[in-house]
Amino acid sequence: MRLDGMRTYSDDEIVDAVVIGTGAGGAPVLATLAERGLRVVALEAGPNFDPHEFTPDENQAVDINWMEERLTDGANPTAFGANNSGRGVGGSTLHWGAFTPRPDPRDLKLHSDSGKGVDWPIEHAELIPYIERVEHFVGIAGPESYPWDPSRKYLMPPPARNASSDMMMRGCEALGIRATDAPAALTTVDRHQEHAGLRPACSSCGSCHQGCRSGAKVSMDTTYLPLAVAHGAEIRPDSMVTGIELDGQGRVSAVVYLRDGVEHRQRCAALFLCAGGVETPRLLLHTGLANSSGQVGRNYMAHGATQVWGTFETEMRSHRGYPSSIITEDTLRPDDADFAGGYLLQSLGVVPLTLATTMVRGGGLWGRELVGAMDGYRYLAGVGMNGECLPSDDNVLTLSDEKDAYGIPKARVAFSSGENEEAMDRHAIRTMTAIVEAAGATSTRVLARTAHTIGTARMGDSADSAVVDADGRSFDVPNLWIADNSVFPSAVVANPALAIMALGLRSAEKFLAA
Amino acid sequence: MSTPTIFCLHALGSSRLEFEPLAERLGDDFEVVAFDLPGFGEANRAEGLSVDEMVDGVIRKIRRHGSTRFLLAGHSMGGKVATLVAARILDGSAGLFGLTGVVLLAASPPSPEPMSDESRAQMLGWAATGRIDHDAARTFVDDNVGAPLGAAADERALADVQRSRAEAWTAWFERGSREDRSDEVGTLDVPAVILAGGADGPLGEDGQRRLNLPVYGRADVVVLEGAGHLLPLERPDEVAAAVRTLWREHAGRGPEVPVDVGRVIASGRTNTRTRRILARRALADRPSYEPRALTPAQLETLRAVAARVVPQTGEPIDLAARVDSQLHRGHSDGWRNVALPPDPEAYRLALTALAGFGDLSEHARDETLTAIVDGSWTPPAGTLTADQMTLWFEDCRVDLSRTWLAHPATMARVGFDGFANGGDVQRIQGFHLLAADTREGWEPLPHPTHDHDTQEAAR
Ligand SMILES: Cc1cc2nc3c(=O)[nH]c(=O)nc-3n(C[C@H](O)[C@H](O)[C@H](O)COP(=O)(O)OP(=O)(O)OC[C@H]3O[C@@H](n4cnc5c(N)ncnc54)[C@H](O)[C@@H]3O)c2cc1C
Ligand code: SF4
Repeated sequence: MRLDGMRTYSDDEIVDAVVIGTGAGGAPVLATLAERGLRVVALEAGPNFDPHEFTPDENQAVDINWMEERLTDGANPTAFGANNSGRGVGGSTLHWGAFTPRPDPRDLKLHSDSGKGVDWPIEHAELIPYIERVEHFVGIAGPESYPWDPSRKYLMPPPARNASSDMMMRGCEALGIRATDAPAALTTVDRHQEHAGLRPACSSCGSCHQGCRSGAKVSMDTTYLPLAVAHGAEIRPDSMVTGIELDGQGRVSAVVYLRDGVEHRQRCAALFLCAGGVETPRLLLHTGLANSSGQVGRNYMAHGATQVWGTFETEMRSHRGYPSSIITEDTLRPDDADFAGGYLLQSLGVVPLTLATTMVRGGGLWGRELVGAMDGYRYLAGVGMNGECLPSDDNVLTLSDEKDAYGIPKARVAFSSGENEEAMDRHAIRTMTAIVEAAGATSTRVLARTAHTIGTARMGDSADSAVVDADGRSFDVPNLWIADNSVFPSAVVANPALAIMALGLRSAEKFLAA
Repeated sequence: MSTPTIFCLHALGSSRLEFEPLAERLGDDFEVVAFDLPGFGEANRAEGLSVDEMVDGVIRKIRRHGSTRFLLAGHSMGGKVATLVAARILDGSAGLFGLTGVVLLAASPPSPEPMSDESRAQMLGWAATGRIDHDAARTFVDDNVGAPLGAAADERALADVQRSRAEAWTAWFERGSREDRSDEVGTLDVPAVILAGGADGPLGEDGQRRLNLPVYGRADVVVLEGAGHLLPLERPDEVAAAVRTLWREHAGRGPEVPVDVGRVIASGRTNTRTRRILARRALADRPSYEPRALTPAQLETLRAVAARVVPQTGEPIDLAARVDSQLHRGHSDGWRNVALPPDPEAYRLALTALAGFGDLSEHARDETLTAIVDGSWTPPAGTLTADQMTLWFEDCRVDLSRTWLAHPATMARVGFDGFANGGDVQRIQGFHLLAADTREGWEPLPHPTHDHDTQEAAR
C-alpha cells in the first residue's frame, strides 16, 4: 500500500499508542484511534508489499507468510508457515481465504449450553453491531437471504460459483442439507474504498491464498490501513518488536524494535499488542509481562479443518474461481452429535502444491499413489470443515531453548485434539463424504488438517483465569491492550477474522472511553 | 519431443547467411533460425540500430516465431544482444518462455567490449564516407580469421561487410560496443557454451574467460585452436558439435514444457514475476550438481529416495539436487517438529541412516519406506530414532512433491494453469468459465502422462 506522504513520528515522541502488528486485529485498532485524532504508530515485522508483485506461484508466494521457524509438538502438531499466518503490512489478511461467516450466538455460550468449553465474556448482541460495521466498511459479498439468519443483509451479490461449489450444492440438495453462497470478504462489483481507491470486482482468479493482486479481496492494506494513514497514523514496516519497557508504575512506556538491524525505542502512552495467536503470547512470555494469571500461552486452539475430496468423472479444475464460495451451517449443532459445539462446511478450491502437502501430511501418501492422486488433480473437488475446538490445558505455547534470528526464543506449540474434536471430526467426515458421494464422486479421500491459531491470551472476567478483560485490557498492565486472535476464550465455529476485526474496533473504542 | 529451435544473431558486418554452414550441420535435429540485425544483410535500414532496439527487435521476432524451446546463439556483436535478450527472458520482462541455453561465439560481453582506440578509429574511418568499400572489407575479413576462408565463405563475408549500412557500423563502434550493461544482466544461471578462437584478438580465450564466463555461471569454455573471430564461417563443424553437446548434456535435459503451456506463460495472462519464476525453474538441472547442504553420498541416497517418493517417467527433474539447494539457502517451511533437529541436520542424519538405500531392490526400498512411515524401521545408532525417521520422511515427502509440482512441466501434466490467472494489470483476467468440464479458449489442453500405472491410480 502507499505509505509515501504519511505522517511520521520520532522514536522520542511519546505517541498516544503503539500498535504491534497490522493484521485483522491491529488494523481496525489503528484506524479507530487515528480517526479520533490520536497520534499512533504501527510497528509491523514484515514488509510493505505492492500487491501487483504478488505471484500465484505457490513456492514463491510464501514471502507474504510468517516463515520464521516455530516448533510444534503434541499428537496433532500444527503446520505453521503458509498454513496459518502472515507477515507484512496487512498481516494474515494478505493471504487469508476471506470466508466470513459470523459467529453464532450459541458458540459464545458454549459452556452454559453444554458444560464444555467456556463462555465468552461478551454478549453476542453486543458483538453484532461491531461485526455489521466491519462488514459495511470493508464490503462483504453474500447471498440475498441467509438461511440461518434471515435478518442479515449483504452489500454485494455473492462470488461466482465454481465446479466445487456446484458439486457441494448438488450433494447437499440430494441429502436435504441447506447450503448457499458463502459470505465472502471480496468485491463482486467495482467498489470505491474510502482512501484506498478502486477495488475492482473479483475476477475469479482463484489465488486468494497467494495474495490478491487486484485488490478485490478485503485485506487490511486495502481497507482499514489506508483509512488509518489518511487520519495521520504511521505504519512502520520491517520493524520487529523484541521488547516492551515499563515505567515505575508498571505501565508500558516504550516499545523496543529492530529495523534494518538497528535497535529503536518508540515511546508511547499505551500499547496495543496485535501480533496474532502465536507472536502475541511469545512476546509476552519473552518479556514476562501480563502473566500473573499464568494463562499466557495456554489454551492454544486450532479449528478442525479436515477435508474430504472426491474424484469426479468431469474435469473440476478447482483452482478456478474464489476457492470457498458455498457454505452450510446446518451442522452447527447436529441432532445426532456426540460432542459439544459443531462445525460448518465450505466448498474447496485448491492449488496443487497445497493439495500435495495435505495429501502427504494429512493422507500419508507417497510414491505412485501420490503421483497418481496428483495426476487426478483436475477431477478433484472437495468439501472442508471448520470445527469448534475446546480449550485444553494440554495445548500450550511455551518458549523453547532455541533462539530466532532476533535473539528471541522460538515458540513451541503443543497441540493434540481431544475427544470432543475427534468425535466431531468423525461426524464431519461422515457428512462430508456423504455430500461428495451424493454429488457423484467415484472415490473419496479424507485429508486431516487444522487451521488458525487461536487462544493463548484469553479474555475473561477474572484476573485469575484470563490475561485480558472483556475489553481486551490487560489485568496486570493497565495501558496494555490485546486485540487479535489470541484473546478468543473459545474457538467459535465461524472462521475468526471477522470477529477479530470487530473486537479490534470494540477494544479501540473501549480504550478511547477509558 | 519437439524439435528445438536455435535463434542465431550474427556479428557486426555480417548477416544471417553466416549461419548457413551451421544450419546445414544441425538441420536434422534443430530448427536453425537466423535474423538479419538492423543495418545488416537484407535489413537495409538506418534505424533501430541501438543495442536496446536490436534486443527489442529480436524479442519480437522470437515471439512471432512462437518457439517455446530454444537456444540463443550470438556471434561477436550478436553475442551482446543474445546475452541481453537472455537476461530479459529470464527476468520475465521479454514476454517469452522456453530459453534453455545460450551459445556464445567470440561474443561481445555485456560490459564494454575490449578494443584499442586505434582499431576503433580505423574501423570508424572505413565507414566515414557513408559506405564500406572492398579494400576495407578485405582488410576486415583478413584481420578476423585465423586462416583464410574457403572461396565461397570468403566471398560471402566480403559481400556482407560491404552491404552493411555505415550508420549501423558506426552505431556499434561509437555506442553499442561501449555500453556497460553488466549490472542489468547480473549473472545468468542458464546452460551455456562459450566458444573462443585460439587466434582471436581481445575477444579470444582471455577476453571470454574474463568478461563472459563470470556472467554465465554454468558455462563451458571451448577454445578452437587456430581459429580467428569468424567462428561460424571458420569452424562450422566444431560449432555444430558444441551446440549438440550443450543440448545433449545440459540445455535439453529435463522434462519438456508443452508448447501451449509455454505460450501461456509467455503471454500477457501471466505476470512478469511469475514468468520469471517459471523461466528459471524450467532450466535444466546441472548434471554434475555438487551438493551444498549434503555430502555427495547423501545426495545420491536422496536421489534414490526421491525416485520412490515421486516416481518420474521420461526425463526426470533432479528433485534431490533442488531440495539440497533449498536446504543450503536456508529455505524453511515455517515450522519443524520439536522432536527433529533443524532441517539440514535432520536430512543429513536421515540420509546417513539410509546409506546404501540405492543398492536395495525396488521392492526392498519400498518396504523400507513403508516401515519408516509406520515407525517400525530401526535406523543405525547415532543417526535418528525410528520416530524421528517417520517425522523426517513426512517433511522429505512434502519437499520432494512440492518441488516436483512446482516445475511447469508437472503443472502441465496435472492440468494446472492457475499461474496464468492474470498479467501485469490491476483488472487481472482471472477465469470466466468455472463450471465442470468447461475450458476457456486460451487454456492449454490436458497433457496427461502416458504412464499407465499412475493414470490408473488417478482414477
Ligand atoms: C491460509 C489461511 C487462510 C485463512 N482463511 C481465513 C478465512 O477464510 N476466514 C477467516 O476468517 N480467517 C481466515 N484465516 C485466518 C485469519 O487470517 C487470521 O485469523 C487473522 O488474520 C488473524 O488476525 P490477527 O490480528 O490475530 O493476526 P495477523 O493477521 O496474523 O496479524 C499479525 C501481524 O503482526 C505482525 N507481528 C507479529 N509479531 C510481531 C512483532 N514481534 N513485531 C512486529 N510485528 C509483529 C505480523 O507480521 C502480522 O502482520 C486464514 C488464515 C490462513 C493462514
Ligand atoms: S479470486 Fe477474487 S478475491 Fe481472490 S485473489 Fe482472485 S481476484 Fe482476488
